[in-house]
Amino acid sequence: MSEWMRKVLENKRQMRKQIATLPFSEKIKILEKLRDRSLAIASNPLRRQSFHRG
Amino acid sequence: MKATLEVINRMQSDGVIGKYAIGGAVGATFYLEPSATLDIDVFVSFQTAPGSSLITIAPVCTYLTSHGYKTEGEYMVIEGWPVQFLPPGDVLTGEALEQAIETEVEEVRTWVMTAEHLTAIELKTGRPKDCARILQFIESGILDTNRLDSILSQHRLLAKWEQFGQRFFGDDK
Repeated sequence: MSEWMRKVLENKRQMRKQIATLPFSEKIKILEKLRDRSLAIASNPLRRQSFHRG
Repeated sequence: MKATLEVINRMQSDGVIGKYAIGGAVGATFYLEPSATLDIDVFVSFQTAPGSSLITIAPVCTYLTSHGYKTEGEYMVIEGWPVQFLPPGDVLTGEALEQAIETEVEEVRTWVMTAEHLTAIELKTGRPKDCARILQFIESGILDTNRLDSILSQHRLLAKWEQFGQRFFGDDK
């Protein structure tokens, strides 16, 4: 693994750790945004077409 | 979700449900970074039907539909969130419900299962997403290993835990 990749992964790990320490209410707000995005992606007609094509 | 929890709490104060505890991805969010989920798993003690030993969700459905909420498959949609009301299907889940910890979401009181119980339930369930969450719990370092050991031992999950370790950590664990 390259040094650059190692750095990226470490930063990602740190960010996840930082988010995990947020108050529950803050994390629920993030979770709500994630859910809204998942629903928006799922309702995209292009995605549905590709899904039906298998 | 605040509004959803307010409705569930009202059900509790109206005597429709007893103690409840949030499990699944929302419960895990109390301890870990949030991960996308479309529903809320609420474990709750249900009343048994009069003259029967069968557990029934009917009072919950009746209450919610009379308050204008709709069902969607196995979910009740409460203030925009599909909520799955689940009876504690085994001793482990019953214990997790009993020992759930109290917290707040935007000043609304609620209960979530302990990290150790969530881990044990995920181990028992064993779907890929459960394994992924167990790995997140391990990586986070928040698990109380004595407490987890005790739960795993009590519910005969130690062998499964060993298998999990072998599968994901091989000789590293």
